Amino acid sequence: MTVLAGDTWGVPGPVFLRWYLVAAVVLVVGALVYRWRALAGTPVHDGGPLGPQQVAYLNGGEQLAVWTALGGLRRAGAVGVRPDRRLTTGGPLPAGVTPLDQAIHHAASRGLRSRELGRDEWVRRALDELRDGLVRRGLALDKERRATLRRGALLVGALLALGFVRAFAGMSNSRPVGWLMLTLVPLFIAFLLLNRVPWRTRAADRALRELRRQHTWLRPSAAPAYATYGPSDAAMGVALFGTATLWSMDPGFAEQAEIQRQAMGASGSSGSSCGGGSSCGGGSSCGGGGGCGGGGGCGG
Amino acid sequence: MTGEDLAARQAELVAALVAGGPLPAGFAPAPVEAARRALLRKRAGDVARHWPLLAAGLGDAWPATFAGWAAGRPTNGSLRDGWDLARELRDQGTLPSLGAEELAVREAASRYDGRGAPRPRRLPAVARAGGAVAAQLAGRVRLLRPAPR
Amino acid sequence: MTTGPSGVGIGWRSEIAGFVAGLPGLRFVEVVAEAVAPAGPLPDGLAELRGRGVTVVPHGVKLSLGGAEPVDPARVAHLAGVATALDAPLVSEHIAFVRAGGLEAGHLLPLPRSREAVAAVVANVRRAQAELPVPLALEPIAALFDWPDDELDEADFLTEILDATGALLLLDVANVHANARNRGGDPAALLDRLPLDRIAYVHVAGGAEQGGFYHDTHTDPVPAEVLDLVRELCGRRRPPALLLERDGHYPPAAELRGELDALAAASGYPVVT
Repeated sequence: MTVLAGDTWGVPGPVFLRWYLVAAVVLVVGALVYRWRALAGTPVHDGGPLGPQQVAYLNGGEQLAVWTALGGLRRAGAVGVRPDRRLTTGGPLPAGVTPLDQAIHHAASRGLRSRELGRDEWVRRALDELRDGLVRRGLALDKERRATLRRGALLVGALLALGFVRAFAGMSNSRPVGWLMLTLVPLFIAFLLLNRVPWRTRAADRALRELRRQHTWLRPSAAPAYATYGPSDAAMGVALFGTATLWSMDPGFAEQAEIQRQAMGASGSSGSSCGGGSSCGGGSSCGGGGGCGGGGGCGG
Repeated sequence: MTGEDLAARQAELVAALVAGGPLPAGFAPAPVEAARRALLRKRAGDVARHWPLLAAGLGDAWPATFAGWAAGRPTNGSLRDGWDLARELRDQGTLPSLGAEELAVREAASRYDGRGAPRPRRLPAVARAGGAVAAQLAGRVRLLRPAPR
Repeated sequence: MTTGPSGVGIGWRSEIAGFVAGLPGLRFVEVVAEAVAPAGPLPDGLAELRGRGVTVVPHGVKLSLGGAEPVDPARVAHLAGVATALDAPLVSEHIAFVRAGGLEAGHLLPLPRSREAVAAVVANVRRAQAELPVPLALEPIAALFDWPDDELDEADFLTEILDATGALLLLDVANVHANARNRGGDPAALLDRLPLDRIAYVHVAGGAEQGGFYHDTHTDPVPAEVLDLVRELCGRRRPPALLLERDGHYPPAAELRGELDALAAASGYPVVT
């Protein structure tokens, strides 16, 4: 191999490109394999079924876990809201509550507002505990694990920087850099994607999908009869389908307590499963439409 | 009584029950009146199912508010009935905040001319009702501003 | 096709789909036909019940078989489509009309018990039967008022319609109670005169007294009188199946289970809870 006088850094373009490509493929594939393994997680059935707050944490993070606990407590009658929008306790804690339930009940007894719950010290501690449990079960990733995963992206970034410097040097050297630039584009995309590290494992993804499939009856569009289902189901509704559950379960409470609203599909808001068709039959056996209201004669 | 007779008498009875028509000859007034009221209660429940926030916003006043509006007004289906009522309350300035938000969200999501079935909007839209503002983009509706309380 | 209705069942509603899915002994539910789209996928909960071999009977509420006008072919086609989609052994509808003169009553309204009304119902039932893939069961409704034109009593009126059409009977025990309470008559005597051997299944529902009338609301608990009537009926001839209808104000699960258990106890069928 003869080193031409004009070669950037004394390495001919095709040779650099070849080794650069090899390095890129090795790094990206290596990072992907590592990531694939690290994100596998532990199947849920190994550790028993997930509670609503765990599901909520996996599905929507800390804030959804707080709403979920609040939904369960509200359904159990353990929390209420005052006219000044501060939470209050409505009764004793039911049996079998979680630390997060206790923390939120305690916060309610001190008259916090719902949006302040996430900053409350007790609530924070309970949320950390919740997350640690999920990390131990192989469903969520802690900070260290996510930092490790980002290291792959970091290496790809370093290679990317080298490529840019080389391309810049080549251009100032009036050497052709078209192929190198073409290589940098996908590498840059790979860098961006590798930088996005999920905070739950694939086992958690699978568990969430399965839970959503098992609980389609809790979708707010089905207008679930929360009075029939009880606190734990109500909480699971919030965990899987968001705060729309709280708004459809107890609109008065949701309004007064300033529960976050969700974006809605075009078919309308919480209660309606039938958007606009006049063909919509409703659920009742007495002449169309579900009679959820007071004492009308039915006759069917 | 002939077949046409039966049709006419059935129509008279329905009109008396849902459209404010006179009591057809020979019927006992009290039971028919009880049926008319029962029907309004049932309709109120059906509409509340389609407009949960409107009904919740009116609270204890919902059954009477609905019955007052619906008496003598035949149903166009629960979705449209609730929509028409919400618009009327908005125009009167008596729409509760929750109902205003629900109406704004519905208006942003669908086009309703008051005569036919509401149709989903294809283009982005912003809708206002009683101080609430909702926007729809590609089928997703978001409440931009809640109604003042 | 699945087997006919048997034992104690409950009306499937999306609101309580999770409760219904959790009933271990359930063999039979009913679904409001107008709430199911025959072409599209079945509601999740119903599909799961069908997978478990639970019989699902479509129950129409808007055909208006008692209307003076011919029954709408599109509505019959819809009911037929739902029956096929659910692999149902039969469908049911009401002896009632729900619209007239271009107005929707939004409610099941009673017919005059006259020869003309019998002829109108029979003609419409035959039109429907010609298009339905499975047998049709007819349910007499509860009404608060009578027509001034009545020529027949309830038993003769129903028997004439059933005889002329060969349709099955869906007897609503709560309606029998409500009619006797509001319009007079002895419910047990009516049971004696109805063709009990034609019963496909029985409806049981709750109601409440209001303004001097008993309202068949489907949103209140089943009263003791209705359960007594269930026992009366089963003492004469036990129907193959009994179904609890609940359409709103859903109570806590324990209460709903209690109603199903009471139905099982009154009829002697196995508990489904």
